[in-house]
Amino acid sequence: MSCASSSRPAIQVEDIWFSYGRRQVLESVSLEVPQGSFTALIGPNGAGKSTLLRLLLGILKPQRGRIAILGQRPGQQGQPIGYVPQGIHLPRGFPISVMDVVLMGRFGNLGILRRPGASDRKKAEEALESAGMGGLRHRRFQDLSGGQQQRVLIARALVSDPCVLILDEPTAGLDPAARARFYGRVCDLQRARGLTLFCASHDVEDVAQHAQTVILLDHTVRASGPPGEVLKSEAVPAVYHFPPPHLHRGAGDLEGRP
Amino acid sequence: MMEFLSYGFIQRALLTGAVLGVTCALLGVFVVLRRMAFIGVGISHAALGGVAIGLLAGLPPVAAAGVFSVIVAWVIGWITRRGEVSEDTAIGVFFPTAMALGVALISLSQTYRQDLLGYLFGNILSVGPGDLWLLLALAGVSLGVLALFFKEFLFLGVDEEAAKAAGLPAAFLSYLLLTILAVTIVAAMKLVGIIMVSAFLVVPAATGQTLGGSVRGMVWFSVASALLSVFAGLWLSWLWNLPSGASVVLFAAALFFGSYFFRLARPGGTEKAGPLPSGIP
Repeated sequence: MSCASSSRPAIQVEDIWFSYGRRQVLESVSLEVPQGSFTALIGPNGAGKSTLLRLLLGILKPQRGRIAILGQRPGQQGQPIGYVPQGIHLPRGFPISVMDVVLMGRFGNLGILRRPGASDRKKAEEALESAGMGGLRHRRFQDLSGGQQQRVLIARALVSDPCVLILDEPTAGLDPAARARFYGRVCDLQRARGLTLFCASHDVEDVAQHAQTVILLDHTVRASGPPGEVLKSEAVPAVYHFPPPHLHRGAGDLEGRP
Repeated sequence: MMEFLSYGFIQRALLTGAVLGVTCALLGVFVVLRRMAFIGVGISHAALGGVAIGLLAGLPPVAAAGVFSVIVAWVIGWITRRGEVSEDTAIGVFFPTAMALGVALISLSQTYRQDLLGYLFGNILSVGPGDLWLLLALAGVSLGVLALFFKEFLFLGVDEEAAKAAGLPAAFLSYLLLTILAVTIVAAMKLVGIIMVSAFLVVPAATGQTLGGSVRGMVWFSVASALLSVFAGLWLSWLWNLPSGASVVLFAAALFFGSYFFRLARPGGTEKAGPLPSGIP
């Protein structure tokens, strides 16, 4: 299935404000993400990245401003949005299988009272194949490695046939090789399905290699554009309060990139 | 054995015990998943406050305990969802307060001391037909809700953020789960008693978790171990004149330890275990 169709943006955020009580987290955030692109959202801890993602998913409502995902308000059932979290934290020994986890991706489409049927299982199997995890559907989720668990969560997001994937620090805790494989896999999926990827991450080097656009967030959008430009901008040391050397190395590697 | 099964009061006890056992086992899956074991302990002890209010006010104790426990469960849930006090602290405040209220109220009246022991330790064999229908109805409500919302409760327990993103009403479902937890605890109180009801919520599910290789497997093993515990526990209770609650919980615990050591004896000993396929990094 291919997604990119009309020219309207996949994600459109206009002047949103959000606070938890008196703590202002997002101030006048505006951004636009074209369909079929890979956009990385970077910023220090507490910059509001997770809050912005929760607004896009419809879990939180902005106090001001407007959000549209493929022209619709977020948080409506059956919307073509997939969500890949940092991980899921189960009690030790809880025997949920890989298939159980992936099928949960269908629950939004099924609605309350309907159980997943044969067609849902087939979709789940296809999604596991796409994520490179076809052989492991009967395994306990907790027995898998961190990288394998992340790919099961990609499969869970893919099973509802999304056009937009929202990823919240999906590679936190993975080693560099697993991170590289993870981004390689999602980029293949992006190209094959015309997916729009919107990914919050601390792995600046990895996302700089794969993303077309980087947005630097620190309560508001401090910089936005191609990775090479954003990572070399004055905003990076200002936001992070010191210039982390790997940021500059990451930016240096990108010189000459179109 | 045939003599055991021929008595009307035993047949009623077995029927109620079986329905309550299945309900507790299914609910136990979510008690384990959402780490609600302590909230189970808290609600069951709070039920004593409700029993005392019922006894003193001349209301049916089970109904009073039901209403009181549901309110306590909601307040604990509400405080926890606000996020300013941790869940175990909130339970740690309500559990002794409601228990103390029950003890204080009952000690005001000499007449109810004997009833109190029945609620603390449970004796399903002494329950009359009228009460059994009430317990069956309460367990039936919980079982119905669990059957209708099983997949939603599961999604919420595994990944609340993703469940909310998929449009599930997370707050409603959380309160619904707390409500049926309180209702089930009150219904099971007559069977195993206030002190052991939370064990009945956790132990069969723990056995199911040890033996099951998937959620479905966990459900089947939990239900099977709960049913076996009810039948064997009541039989032993009748045979050796033991309190029904104690013998049911002891039998359930024996099943858990059996399954645990069975699992230890077979490393990775669940269905479909073995080394991970090498081609998948």
